[in-house]
Amino acid sequence: MKLNEINLFRTMVRLRAFDEACIEGVPTFEIHGELHTSIGQEAIGAAMAQSLTLHDAVVSTHRNHYHALAKGVPPRALMAEIFEKETGLCRGRGGHMHPFDPEHNFSATGIVGASLPVALGYAYNFKLKGLPYIAVGICGDGATNHGTFHECLNMAAAWGLPLVCLVENNQYAISVRFSDVTATPGIAERAAAYGAFGRRVDGTDVEEVVKAFAEVARYTRKGGGPSLLEATCYRHRGHYEGDHDNYRERAEKQRMRAEMDPIARYRRMLVERGAAEDELDQIVAAAKGEMSAMLADIRKDAMPDPAGAMDHVFAEVV
Amino acid sequence: MTADMTANMRKINASQAVAESLFQEMERDERVVILGEDVGRCGGVFGSSRNLLDRFGPMRVRDTPISEMSFTGMGVGMAMAGLRPVVEIMFVDFIGVCLEQVYNAMAKIPYMSGGRVKMPMVIKTAGGNIGSAAQHSQCLWATFAHLPGMQVVAPSSARDHKGLMAAAIRSDNPVIFIEHKGLLLKQAKEFLNAGDVPAEAFVTPIGKADIVRQGGDITLVTLSASVEYAMEAAAQVAGEGIDVELIDLRSIVPLDVETVAQSAAKTGRLLVVDEDYLSFGLSAEIIVRVLERLGPSSLRQLRRHAVPDVPIPAALSLEEVLVPGPASIARVLREMAAAS
Repeated sequence: MKLNEINLFRTMVRLRAFDEACIEGVPTFEIHGELHTSIGQEAIGAAMAQSLTLHDAVVSTHRNHYHALAKGVPPRALMAEIFEKETGLCRGRGGHMHPFDPEHNFSATGIVGASLPVALGYAYNFKLKGLPYIAVGICGDGATNHGTFHECLNMAAAWGLPLVCLVENNQYAISVRFSDVTATPGIAERAAAYGAFGRRVDGTDVEEVVKAFAEVARYTRKGGGPSLLEATCYRHRGHYEGDHDNYRERAEKQRMRAEMDPIARYRRMLVERGAAEDELDQIVAAAKGEMSAMLADIRKDAMPDPAGAMDHVFAEVV
Repeated sequence: MTADMTANMRKINASQAVAESLFQEMERDERVVILGEDVGRCGGVFGSSRNLLDRFGPMRVRDTPISEMSFTGMGVGMAMAGLRPVVEIMFVDFIGVCLEQVYNAMAKIPYMSGGRVKMPMVIKTAGGNIGSAAQHSQCLWATFAHLPGMQVVAPSSARDHKGLMAAAIRSDNPVIFIEHKGLLLKQAKEFLNAGDVPAEAFVTPIGKADIVRQGGDITLVTLSASVEYAMEAAAQVAGEGIDVELIDLRSIVPLDVETVAQSAAKTGRLLVVDEDYLSFGLSAEIIVRVLERLGPSSLRQLRRHAVPDVPIPAALSLEEVLVPGPASIARVLREMAAAS
């Protein structure tokens, strides 16, 4: 696969700038509930964007903005939804944890363990209709100890469904360390138990994630059945904005943020390969400017009309 | 009724009616898929998905492993992808395993998406008391009705089993379709609320109650198997001069309060019989909605006859004193008639 290095860098930078703009809405109480950002995990979103088509389906988690953008969900509608505006993707009914975009086959859930079953339904539909599309069910390491992880991989393998199970192993289920609740070193090794294709990748090395995601996507798209990609990473911020995050040692956080920042890593790599630092800095500045302007614009949008609070519980009766 | 139409009417039982409706809807619309435990090779443990696997094959009639949470969520994904899944949860008591996908995903996604996503999904499940003790006897319709976003249907007659299932499948809304085990096991000739079942596909609209028996003394509202029990009770007390108007709700979301209120305004007495639990349930909800409509002192008598707040015991001698049946319903009707 030929990589466009600058585009890959720009994609990650835009994903980060998007979440940084969202963080601005927390202290102002424009965003309610727990905002989950993907800072430190952008390489995974960028990798997905390289391999997915419009018709492929993605079912994401509570930490979903970068997956949505990777799937082609319009950034403005997504950010407006995160800021709970009438102009948002879901008219302000969903918020940051529940974006739904049927045109891009993208959805998410705020319940840990609940994404894979829905992705399985998309995969079943593709198989039933003989379509060459894949469904990506995303979960974190925490969800891999939920019953649905077992149930879904088992069913997907038994019926040869085109499900890619993407596990973002950031090593913590809020405060519970993966190694404290799981005997095996990782998750990818479980694939063999289901008859699925399994692979582990350093999820902060963007070129490696691109290759790995492309490999599992190709395997599943060609009819091989389900695949399981474990992308290791580290959550740079708290579980949610406002999390005291007293369960991770300060030294660990400092070290991991330095070692496992996909954007900084890729920047160093590109500079070593001869990229102009100015050009990279301009990409960062442009992304920040784009997202700041988007946020400023969205802040002028109307909040949902209270008169419509009961709308959309049921489909319109025709 | 023409000779042709009469020829197409049959006496069939409730499980046949459901299976026939599924068959015809699957023929009519290739997006309809059924999945669940034992729905395929076995044709459903109550026979209500018989003959489907042979005709439609395993991709549309999917026997699942015992993975309720994931195959219910799979139904959600199928519906979002454009299919019209019918997900069978064998006994409604098992809903605890997969309630997460039912109430957080299936029921909420249309709203959470601001109306952008439709959820044409049916959960087909069996409830009701037939001597199966605490974990295989509940009705739980009020539980679903309490949680916003689901239509909740519980048919009584064989005819309604067929027509309401067709309506549920054709609906763009998520529908919980609760069959009663006692009705599924009942022979066609044993139904009091008889009515022949048309051979061709038809739709019974969801949300319109059925006045099964007209009367002027007491309005008796119920649904599912209790309609049969109430018919038996009404027949018993008719000989004593108590004239019962019996309403089969058919669904509790939507709830046809209009039909109930009109009848109660006429009789002045309202009895709700409910095989589900008493507290915070259907019986109180109906009475309050009728009083909200007619005024707080509009009726002479209000009675609730439901399962008191206790798990269902195994011994039939105990179940009989807890679950409304023909004898207990007749007793309540007599008490109401004697009181005024």
